[in-house]
Amino acid sequence: MPVISFILLGSVVLLPAVALWALRWATAAGQFRCPDKAALLPFDESEPVGVETDLILGGNRR
Amino acid sequence: MPGDVGAGSGGDVQTGGVQKAALAEIDASCRVPVLFFFLSGLGWLIAGSLLAIVASIKLHSPGFLGAWEWLGFANVRTAHLNTVIYGFASQVSVGVSLWLMCRLCRIPLPAPGLVTVANLFYNLGVTVGVVGILRGDSTAIEWLEMPRYATPILFVSYALIAVWTIVTFRLRAERHLYVSQWYLLAAVLWFPWLYGTAQVMLLLEPVRGVVQAAVNWWFAHNVLGLWFTPIGLASIYYFIPKVIGRPIHSYYLSVLGFWSLALFYNWNGMHHLVGGPLPAWMITISIVASVMMLIPVITVAINHHFTMLGHFGKMRQSPTLRFIVFGAVSYTLASLQGVASALRSVSEVTHFTHHTIAHAHLGMYAFFTMVMFGAMYYILPRITQREWPSNGLISLHFWGVALGIVLYVVPMSLMGFLQGTKLNDPTIRFLDVVQFTLPWLKLRTVAGLLLVVGHVAFVGNVAWLLVRMFEPYRKPVVRILTGEAETLAAGK
Amino acid sequence: MSYGPLLFLGILLTLASSWVGLVLMPHRQLGSLTQHTDTNTAAIFPAARAGEAQQGAEHYRSLGCVYCHTQQVRPEGYGSDLERGWGRRRTVSRDYIHDRTVMLGTMRTGPDLTNIGERQSDAAWHYRHLYNPQITSPGSIMPPHAFLFETRAIGPSGRSTNALVLEGAFAPPAGTEVVPTRRAEQLVAYLRSLKSSGDLPEAPVKKEEAK
Repeated sequence: MPVISFILLGSVVLLPAVALWALRWATAAGQFRCPDKAALLPFDESEPVGVETDLILGGNRR
Repeated sequence: MPGDVGAGSGGDVQTGGVQKAALAEIDASCRVPVLFFFLSGLGWLIAGSLLAIVASIKLHSPGFLGAWEWLGFANVRTAHLNTVIYGFASQVSVGVSLWLMCRLCRIPLPAPGLVTVANLFYNLGVTVGVVGILRGDSTAIEWLEMPRYATPILFVSYALIAVWTIVTFRLRAERHLYVSQWYLLAAVLWFPWLYGTAQVMLLLEPVRGVVQAAVNWWFAHNVLGLWFTPIGLASIYYFIPKVIGRPIHSYYLSVLGFWSLALFYNWNGMHHLVGGPLPAWMITISIVASVMMLIPVITVAINHHFTMLGHFGKMRQSPTLRFIVFGAVSYTLASLQGVASALRSVSEVTHFTHHTIAHAHLGMYAFFTMVMFGAMYYILPRITQREWPSNGLISLHFWGVALGIVLYVVPMSLMGFLQGTKLNDPTIRFLDVVQFTLPWLKLRTVAGLLLVVGHVAFVGNVAWLLVRMFEPYRKPVVRILTGEAETLAAGK
Repeated sequence: MSYGPLLFLGILLTLASSWVGLVLMPHRQLGSLTQHTDTNTAAIFPAARAGEAQQGAEHYRSLGCVYCHTQQVRPEGYGSDLERGWGRRRTVSRDYIHDRTVMLGTMRTGPDLTNIGERQSDAAWHYRHLYNPQITSPGSIMPPHAFLFETRAIGPSGRSTNALVLEGAFAPPAGTEVVPTRRAEQLVAYLRSLKSSGDLPEAPVKKEEAK
């Protein structure tokens, strides 16, 4: 079954290669710095921290 | 902190000069592609739910619709699984993923044509696949039953989505990645490779003997663990903070949760084959990896719980929050049940019983589907720039499906355990064990009907929302849309 | 967090290695299993399937029997598979080398079928069971497979030899008989071929104590 072996071995080479590339990229792009700031990424000026969105039912209408 | 703008503006990384788009503009750009995926997904949900009811009835009343071969139990069950997994869940996943990527990358949706083509391919593939199953061409390989003339069509679609995701990633205005994007990138890149490999090794150039079973369950479990789970978790990590206005409790824990999930989840597959005709070392590794899953699961549970602490009351006011939190809690429960089921002593009882089916629905429905519903409740008003027309239908949806899934999973898990105990007692006749399961199977049909009621309520509300979309914007009593979004909508 | 990149690397490499462990290695280990010849009796296990039975396996697949029936026997002391007579020994990898699609199954809504050819070798039983499971197994939830049979008028030379013997409520209208189609014959040939009791070096049949 040469096709199978080709896929299997090719993947064993390809996946770690992609992993190593992604690692190199992530470090160079500074993704591992400032992890606490990353938690604030869902927020911005129009919907900052402390402001609820989507409370559309019941009492507290916003 | 008041006025805090979010990470990435510190300037320690090149921004490339790309301007971050406004949220309302991003939402507007997502409208057509995301709607295509959501609406087709919901159509398949209705079809899949009805197939589920038929299958459920057939199990306790085997003569039901028994004259037609194409409607035989195996066909209906298989068609149900494939319509809900590939027709509904995967399409809604893509819709949510598109919107989340755009929102977190802070750019309007690029290449909408590519996405639309992917959607057309997708629906074509599912249609051809499901019709093929009903015609008798099912491969009988669980989770990969669509015949080989259908699966390449789906593969093309998944590949296009992967390409789109990379393009969006490259074009992003926000340089830093949020945890949700890690999960989405992993899911969207891993799945086409998984799907393609499984197709080659099981359908196109089938491997010999029990290696098929190994590949089958490596594939099927990774559909859960590395396609659906990451998309579900990505959604929870975004929507809980967005609704309550507070960041996630510990970003460090979320990163730990992601990497430990990636590390352990994909070794789990062989726990579907405990006691089976495979080398013991493979099965042992999978059991160990299943137990190791406690690390990411508990990490994620702690993170979600502490983020929500003090804000649980908001579930009454946000449909998104109530569905998402229901899903998040179910994720923990499903994972704990899964870890337990992988242990040899527990598997000895629960393997081959309805307990496994209950577990599958705890994961795919109580966790994943509920999270997707929550995501759609947030996204749909923002991309259509209209408010939900009926609060009553929202409640009917939530209570219908929440009660329905609890009524499904809890009795069936218990029944499966008892069924397994009886099966392990050779003095109990097999047919007597079957008789024992019957009342519980009828209860499951009732639970299924509740789910259908909830689905119809939701689809009705969505249809009404679409009608509103074509009407001029009317300022409603309760406002989701504020500021720019409202101005944009009022302008239409 | 300077150990971050190393953690990243370790995890991603392990991601790829799971695939090596669960897919590549089993393929190497199991993909080349061959039949075993018993040195005493010269019998070969597992026996290859005759043409009709091989066709029957395809019908088993397309009818979806695997969704309610397993074909794997668990080891002694683990579950009650052996005590229920579902096999004389546990099944091992080598038992499946002839199967085009390996159908181990994951649900026992119905009993395991690894050894059904030994447990129930009567073709007439199988035909009646498939036609309507209530005939042989009252209370069963297996769906009826009447579409595998043909109800036709009894010819001038009388009842066909392979017509099903049906009584009472299950009998067809007067003057007609129920005969199996080719598909039913092949499926039953497959079911009757399901026997997995030969000794293998890795899984010997436990010899019973002489009474």
